[in-house]
Amino acid sequence: MIKTITLLRSISGVFALLLFASSLQAQEEKELKPVTRTYAVTNVNVIQAPGKKIEMATVLIKDGLIVSVGKGISIPPEAIVIKADSMYVYAGFIDGLSRVGVARPKEEPSRERVKDPGNPTPERAGITPQNDVRYSLNPADKSIEDLRNIGFTVAQVAPYGNLLPGQSSIVLLGGKSIDQMVLINNSALYSELSGANNVYPNTIMAVMAKWRELYRQASQSKSYQSLYASNRTGLERPASDRVLEAFYPVIDQKMPVLFKSEKMLETHRILKLKSDLGFALTLGDIKEGWPIVNKIKSSGAKVFLALDLPEEIKKEEKKDDKKADKKADSTKAKEVAKPKTATDLEKDALEKRRAEAITNYTSQASTFAKAGVPFGFSTLSAKAKDIPANLRRMISAGLSEEAALAALTTTPAQLLGLSDRMGTVEPGKMANLVISDKTYFHEKSKVRYVFVDGTLYKMDVKEEKKADPNAKVDIEGSWSTVTQTPQGSNDGKATFKKEGSGYKGTVSGGRMPAPVDMTSVTLEGNKLSYSYSLSFGGNSIKIDVEVTVEGDTFKGNASIGPRGSFSIEGTKNPKN
Amino acid sequence: MKGLQTIIGLAAAIICGVVMHAQAQSPKGKYANVALTNATIETVTKGTIQNGTVLILDGKIAGVGTNVSIPAGTEIIDCKGKFIYPGMIDAGTNLGLNEISAVARTTDFNEIGEVIPQMKALTAVNPNASAIPVTRVSGVTTALTIPTGGMLSGTAALINLHGYTPDQMYAGFEGIVLNFPNTGRRGFFDRRTDDDIKKASEKALASLNDVWEKAIQYHKLDSATKGKTGYYPELQALVPVIRGEQTLLVETNTSKDITAALKWVKEKKVKKVILTGVAEGWRVADEIAKSGIPVITGGVLELPTRDYDRYDRAYANAGLLKKAGVKVAIKSESSNNNYRNLPYHAGFAVAYGMNKEDALKAITIIPAELFGVADKLGSIEVGKSATLFICTGDPFETKTNVSHVFIDGWQMPMVSRQTELYDEFLKRDPGVNKTKK
Amino acid sequence: MKKLLTLFFSSLALFSVMAQVDKGNLLIKNGTVITITKGNLEQTDVLIKDGKIAQIAKNIQAPAGVRVIDATGHYVMPGIIDAHSHIALDGINEGTNPITPEVSEEDVINPFQIGIYRALGGGITTVHAMHGSANAIGGQCETIKLRYGNFDPDALKMEGAPRTIKFALGENPTRSHGEGSGIVPRTRMGVEFVIRQAFSEAKEYSEAWSKYNKNKLVKGFRGAPPAYSYRHEVLSDILNDKIIIHCHSYRADEIYMMLKVCKDFGIKRIVFQHVNEGFKVAPELAAQGAMASVFSDWWAYKFEVYYSTAYNAAILTRNGVVTSINSDDAEMMRHLYHEAGKTQKYGALTDEEALALITINPAKQLGIESRVGSLEVGKEGDIVIFKNHPLSIYGVPMYTIVDGIVWFDREKDPDDMRLVVDPKQNIDNAMLRDKNSDLDHCMEGAEFILDSELFNANKK
Repeated sequence: MIKTITLLRSISGVFALLLFASSLQAQEEKELKPVTRTYAVTNVNVIQAPGKKIEMATVLIKDGLIVSVGKGISIPPEAIVIKADSMYVYAGFIDGLSRVGVARPKEEPSRERVKDPGNPTPERAGITPQNDVRYSLNPADKSIEDLRNIGFTVAQVAPYGNLLPGQSSIVLLGGKSIDQMVLINNSALYSELSGANNVYPNTIMAVMAKWRELYRQASQSKSYQSLYASNRTGLERPASDRVLEAFYPVIDQKMPVLFKSEKMLETHRILKLKSDLGFALTLGDIKEGWPIVNKIKSSGAKVFLALDLPEEIKKEEKKDDKKADKKADSTKAKEVAKPKTATDLEKDALEKRRAEAITNYTSQASTFAKAGVPFGFSTLSAKAKDIPANLRRMISAGLSEEAALAALTTTPAQLLGLSDRMGTVEPGKMANLVISDKTYFHEKSKVRYVFVDGTLYKMDVKEEKKADPNAKVDIEGSWSTVTQTPQGSNDGKATFKKEGSGYKGTVSGGRMPAPVDMTSVTLEGNKLSYSYSLSFGGNSIKIDVEVTVEGDTFKGNASIGPRGSFSIEGTKNPKN
Repeated sequence: MKGLQTIIGLAAAIICGVVMHAQAQSPKGKYANVALTNATIETVTKGTIQNGTVLILDGKIAGVGTNVSIPAGTEIIDCKGKFIYPGMIDAGTNLGLNEISAVARTTDFNEIGEVIPQMKALTAVNPNASAIPVTRVSGVTTALTIPTGGMLSGTAALINLHGYTPDQMYAGFEGIVLNFPNTGRRGFFDRRTDDDIKKASEKALASLNDVWEKAIQYHKLDSATKGKTGYYPELQALVPVIRGEQTLLVETNTSKDITAALKWVKEKKVKKVILTGVAEGWRVADEIAKSGIPVITGGVLELPTRDYDRYDRAYANAGLLKKAGVKVAIKSESSNNNYRNLPYHAGFAVAYGMNKEDALKAITIIPAELFGVADKLGSIEVGKSATLFICTGDPFETKTNVSHVFIDGWQMPMVSRQTELYDEFLKRDPGVNKTKK
Repeated sequence: MKKLLTLFFSSLALFSVMAQVDKGNLLIKNGTVITITKGNLEQTDVLIKDGKIAQIAKNIQAPAGVRVIDATGHYVMPGIIDAHSHIALDGINEGTNPITPEVSEEDVINPFQIGIYRALGGGITTVHAMHGSANAIGGQCETIKLRYGNFDPDALKMEGAPRTIKFALGENPTRSHGEGSGIVPRTRMGVEFVIRQAFSEAKEYSEAWSKYNKNKLVKGFRGAPPAYSYRHEVLSDILNDKIIIHCHSYRADEIYMMLKVCKDFGIKRIVFQHVNEGFKVAPELAAQGAMASVFSDWWAYKFEVYYSTAYNAAILTRNGVVTSINSDDAEMMRHLYHEAGKTQKYGALTDEEALALITINPAKQLGIESRVGSLEVGKEGDIVIFKNHPLSIYGVPMYTIVDGIVWFDREKDPDDMRLVVDPKQNIDNAMLRDKNSDLDHCMEGAEFILDSELFNANKK
């Protein structure tokens, strides 16, 4: 399993190389400075904190801070006024664990055989706790914008890697330079329970053994360092060791260990390490915590629940059922009369268990809330565009809107030690705000403005409006596509052909050896989505493309699961 | 010439001295006219005879019953308290083709190529394979030995487990092996996506259809030209199947694939078909019964194919198929040459629901019928080949010992390398100390 | 079991108290009780109180509220113990280094594997969940009880069972490291060397620590401690007989070598696993008190098991070696009683001897014979109830009980016994056993390091 994951990880790198090989120099746009740093958001419903609302009020922002909140506030002349009539303003959301804005390492960990796989260098083994995620931040990374667009303003970001890739930082989701972004550096020692490719430690059990050994060696080296510091004469010089030294603040309880902890068994194992070694622990991106909520609670670990959820069972099937119900009575009677076969019954039972399983995931947050465990959320494995819907699924599974908001604002602020600066819409706090046109958790709600550290980001909602379910577009034919990736832009081709009531298609280009059939194509109005898979050494990865078609062009995103999303544009080629 | 051999043999005996004495050559089989008396005879086809005699003359069963006259000079084996059964037939092995699974140079069941029906297992059967005596001393006298790998992996052969050349061993049946396109995962190492599996099986089916179409064309041209169509070994090997003269052994296991295979067989109008494997047969048992196509299923001692399946599905599969009206034979399927466990596979089928009589038939007369050799094998009847064994009780029970085995009238030595090691090492001499006080 | 599942779905609170092992009360009435150590008792009752056997007698009155199972006509025997298995584990081989004693299967127990339930269906109650055989000195193993239904991996552990560790000789370690990575060992000579080297270094390590600890007592001592090594800590524990060695081995020569290594380093507790040619050195094994855990009849899947015999268990038993029959396989472990039965065909063992191979003998090999392996008052309530005699081919486990709790009930359990459901799993997905993958599962997870013909053949 570990191997599959690491393999996939390197595949996605290969994928990027394959598809997006030719590099284009990105054009730096010179942006003008804002005229003022004073803003007044007027006539807005202020949700100061979960459950604390002021209607039709004004929020005044100056020099990156919230200056005043309330009714009847006089607006200074230098302020830019944002008429947020009947909109809602919330404290900016805080993400407990993600890799937003972190550049993927250019070189994937080598899969080549190592001479002595039992004794690799620490780097090859994935043990670089001394690394600092700040050195891999990219303020221009599109993932920052994606997450900000749905209301997130701050995130704790971790470096890429498997075992001990380095130290995380808490960053603002805005800013032009790395230093502008960073709010708190070296916030935690980040770790994952996953092994190295083909070298020690390869399995989870070896990862755990290595973890214990490093920690104990670090404790030993730390106490010898201090013995040495007390009187150096007559003592052998302690060796300098970057890896072990990175553990010192953890041993001193000055820095927590932040673990990715998706699976239930992973969580058990991490808690075991904690109880063996005694470090302060933050569990990130928990997906299967519901059966062990009390164990987590009594461990005292800080908790961030995953905003990623398993896909709902497709609604299409249900739609079909409804249609079938509406069919003429005679057909319905026939269908009812036909007894279900053993296979049908088996399938029903299995579907039922799957649906129950999915419910466990969607109700995890509410389970934690009921158990009285404070928790925030993390976006590590979630697609930004799914997050609002996933929050609504959690709410309909029993989480109160107030608790959901707390998990996005006040609680993570507490867990990360930021309560003095953020989490609420109160004077003196950082101007991290999200403004939506309806209450945030409303199905049709759209984020219109986001403030990060007092800088205003206006959401472009025009494109959304263009999505017209009634538009008639003709996609049949061949399209030239350009995909923007961290490796540069890449040209490709997509071809669509009508088949029955739907479409079929192929994709080619980049360094793909041959055209690949799309596995699905759907066109609803002018919303076009298609998917295809690419195989690498027997494994395959799925690429999902979603675009809006306008005449002979389209624009949208191509994503490879949580591993990345790239913008794609297409132009229809004239028919020969 | 014979003199020379004797001299060499003598010289060797002198050189090797005592060692030679300890490691005697395996005794030979004995071709004998024998009367097996006072036995409980499990004829399989004609009930049980208490206190009966089986007379073996010239390799055949010459008499069965309580009133068999024994010609003068016939050797008599008193079987008081013992049982006589027809030799068991394992309908799925690679006996003779496989010495040590992990040592490629000792395996001969997997030739290169996807479509190689012309590759004949019988050619590669090693009559001295160490597994052959190990298997036959347990009462398994006959085995279908099959090539594997690829789509049309070759021609399987039914062999009796005694003889010095493949022809002496050949038991009268050959069939073409088809591994029907598979949508199941092949094990823990199979990490293909669902999509990849689907694509691979669709591609395989298309290529199978292509082969079949060509085979039909070849058959038509061959008929029209009266056999002058030219050398085309793959298609020539398939022609007897197309013409309904030879059996196609269709290996298929998941329920979806079984359904697809039944549909394919019907579409292509293949006349002689046996489904093999059929691990998920219970899921589509009625469908198989309706098709009238017989099944060789097994091994019985297997895990369920899906994590949500009832734990004993593999044990119960043969019984559930039989219950639905399918003609079922049981094979042992083993990669570590443990075909000797065939009766235990049948026994487990019984423990988990199959009728005991049906389970016995499933390893004797049913495979004999499926392979068209029921006139020679599969039951204790006059005129059939004297291929049978004598044992101390229910052959499905592990307490039961097999005391005698006859194959084509040859009385087999009851030794194998495994019994020889037992004899040598039960009381090892010297023990811990080499010097004796 | 079914009840447990339903409860899980209706009330999550049930599983919130974790790693607390459930213990039950149960009265099994009127069965033929096969005690293993004290003969058979006809029409006898067994009472389990608070997870332990409280009484074995005729006509025991059921205490109020205690569940009663009528075992009339059935056989009641101790739960079967498999001394060699790889179920319930996430990861079997840390195959990157020939010496990895610091890794432990204890850390990667997976309580959700359906194989655990299936093993219960074969009457298994205790399993030695082992590291694989890629390394000369592999990882530590874990003795678990099959309490299937628990969500906490720790709840499967058999608390207080002695520590054990996997060693491996012969083809697997030489294939993994010599052939796979081009490092010692590539031969059986190399295997002996790396083991002796590891032990020797560990000896130096613990001597260095003793010296340091002694020096520290001297007033005013200042000095550097020896560098901490988890690996050498565990190796020292082996040298101090704190861990039982379970040594994967096939050929007589390598078994004999390991006996000598143990003698030289003063190691007393060793169990040889597989040990297909153990019959050839049975007198030596017996003389040194080494034990043997064998297959009933597996052979010929690789060269080092070519000269095997199904009479191995009988020869070892007759020579006085404490012998067990194991599975090393998720399927075979479901019928160890049948595998034990084969020793009656191959070597004419008595019923008592044959059943000891899967009960009290493996218990001795795991150092848990005072707690399980026979039906005696005071022992743990781990029991399997058979329809028909367990050594008969028609024997069918009907109930499997661990600590007085019924974890398997043939009549009542539903078909689908998964504890967790992967929401992404394609339901229509069958997993077939590869015909050619019947090798010992000891190498699972180490494929990447091998260029073996076999694995390539399988991957085809």
